[in-house]
Amino acid sequence: MKIYFSRKNLCIPYALFLVLFVIAPVLVVLYYAFTNGEGQFTLENLVGFFTSANTIGTLIYSMAVAFVVTVLCLVIAYPVAYILSKSRIKRRNGLLILFIIPMWINFTLRVTALKEVLSAIEGNLAYYPFINTVIGQTYDFLPFMILPIYTTLIKLDKDLEEAASDLGANDFRTFLKVTLPLSMPGVISGIMMVFLPAMTNYVILDILYNSTYIMGSLIGSYFSAYNWHTGSMISIVLFAIVFAATLITNKYTDIDNAADRGAML
Amino acid sequence: MKRFSLIFFLAVIMTILSACGDKEDADTVVLRVCNWEEYIDEGGWDDDELIELENGRNIIGENAMYHDFEEWYYETYGIKVKVEYSCAGTNEDLYNQLTLGDVFDLVCPSDYMIMKLMAEDKLVKFSPAFFDIEDEENYYSRGVSPYIRKIFDENEIDGESWGEYSAGYMWGTTGIVYNPEEITRTQASNWELLRDSSYKRRVTIKDNVRDAYFSALAVYKRDKLLSAEFVEREDYRQALAKEMNDTSDDTISAVEEILRDMKENAYSFETDSGKADMVTGKVLANYQWSGDAVYTIEQASEDDVELYYEVPSECGNLWFDGWVMLKAGLKEDARKQHAAEAFINFVSMPENVVRNMYYIGYTSVIAGCDDTTVFDYADWYFGADDNEEETIDYDVSYFFGEEDEVDGSYVITAVPEQQYGALGAQYPSLDIIRRCAVMGYFDDETYEKINNMWINVRCFDLKSLF
Repeated sequence: MKIYFSRKNLCIPYALFLVLFVIAPVLVVLYYAFTNGEGQFTLENLVGFFTSANTIGTLIYSMAVAFVVTVLCLVIAYPVAYILSKSRIKRRNGLLILFIIPMWINFTLRVTALKEVLSAIEGNLAYYPFINTVIGQTYDFLPFMILPIYTTLIKLDKDLEEAASDLGANDFRTFLKVTLPLSMPGVISGIMMVFLPAMTNYVILDILYNSTYIMGSLIGSYFSAYNWHTGSMISIVLFAIVFAATLITNKYTDIDNAADRGAML
Repeated sequence: MKRFSLIFFLAVIMTILSACGDKEDADTVVLRVCNWEEYIDEGGWDDDELIELENGRNIIGENAMYHDFEEWYYETYGIKVKVEYSCAGTNEDLYNQLTLGDVFDLVCPSDYMIMKLMAEDKLVKFSPAFFDIEDEENYYSRGVSPYIRKIFDENEIDGESWGEYSAGYMWGTTGIVYNPEEITRTQASNWELLRDSSYKRRVTIKDNVRDAYFSALAVYKRDKLLSAEFVEREDYRQALAKEMNDTSDDTISAVEEILRDMKENAYSFETDSGKADMVTGKVLANYQWSGDAVYTIEQASEDDVELYYEVPSECGNLWFDGWVMLKAGLKEDARKQHAAEAFINFVSMPENVVRNMYYIGYTSVIAGCDDTTVFDYADWYFGADDNEEETIDYDVSYFFGEEDEVDGSYVITAVPEQQYGALGAQYPSLDIIRRCAVMGYFDDETYEKINNMWINVRCFDLKSLF
């Protein structure tokens, strides 16, 4: 008996993973979000999300945190990724490792260390909760912004930049008109990887300083009160926000690609 | 052919998965135990950690206790048992696991969760044999402190006492760990400290609704609880328990206001980080459970920082964790129930009690009664060296003796600081324990109300924007 092994079968492990750990849990969350304690269908949880001052307040607070974190990450990460991609190949790998090394250390340990450093600087962390939340999350999520931008920049066709300078654009103009637009896909995937975790990852907050809920902690507190329904609805709304954001950005990058093709012609 | 290879692939996976589970032969009793993390001796002690007690016992933890149990059970009863040991993080997690279909035979929830499970009729009663103190192997019934036994027998849910359904494991109080150089004992003896603005951002509060509610409730009722009229009531303890379980709407909204003040004042709401923040000096006072207080005080003393523990004068929370057997797990299997009861007896064996207490730092409900091992351990651990000049006699006979009073039959001679430090946290004095109350479980409706109040406190307040 001979067993065929086609290349398609390689995706079985991932398909299994996807069904078991991604699709099935989302279905469970959906079920809880649209049912009440008696298991009947209801939209109460959805209405509750938008009418509760707590969820809206927390949403606004978390978005403010996530927005500042994402902007800060972008401002720090872009120049780093740019310099990395422009450095000589020999040095580049060494430099890259310098930025990845922090990710090899468990993040609770890193954040605990950060807490000590910040306490030494500020004296008492608790007086600046917002700033410290932002610093902690920026510190933790920075590599997730650097890496996608770096990988896009490194794949950029050098000829395009040379062409731009041949045609008389100075370095700054070349960057603005050629490099930056072409690196947008990397920037967008960086934003996607930072923004949502910054809204929900409350572990960093718990370690640093913890008094105001962000979305993740709010979901957790409903779950620990055995209220699966409200907690699930909050997760679903967050999911919808991210999904919508992805759709919009995809459209944006599509236009970008179309422009590329136009330029090629 | 393609379809065949897919089926083959799945079949391989299924075989691998099922092979993992099916190794035990039919004779073996499988006991599924769920406990808190770091809440039993996991073994692996260094040789120099050997505990040599006055009564000649030498105690050291080599293996995890649940593995030792398997060996002991086979030697004692000739039946093979396999313990599947797992851990939960909080009572609410444990309850969620149970409702979502995880099956355990023996779990170790806290007092209020035991009450909730009892009220929901999810527990199995202990067999009469478990309470037979003639049986040498019944270490729990023979060894449990009479003081604790009384509490377990007196508290009832739906007309049945806790003692019939649950066996104590660890117990303690809640209070405040504080730095005596900055905060006086009188100040720490007042829950008001948590919202005292002279310690703004220098105190921490527990990040769970029950403990937070308890401290705010004590602040709210302070005047009443401390009035001579109240303290001298004949039914003081019952009245205290009643006050500390007050969940009327007015009380909940008063508590909400107090918690908001506390939030403004506190360094953080924490579950774990408070211990380290206390040792490093980031905060001066920390709302803490007695077992973690022992740990904090000892960690700090390694850095030459002296910390004390105080149960505030209004009231402290007297809490227990206890073993209960679940209907869904046992399914009326007598062999399983026997193994589950034997497991409780095994962890209640005096030498095992010492191993657990040394390893996790909490206080066991076992006193030992006719065996002095547990008391000798407390004496060995907290007693003063012979060359100490100034010592006090710390009487713990209410716990180790037969009557709930202090009669000098069990006395630890310790340095004076110990009564405010680790010893006082591990074995509170009778005066302190008299002002402690058990906090019962909230029914679903009340719990939802209180939890919504808690979320109100913890969420970002939109009004602060305008």
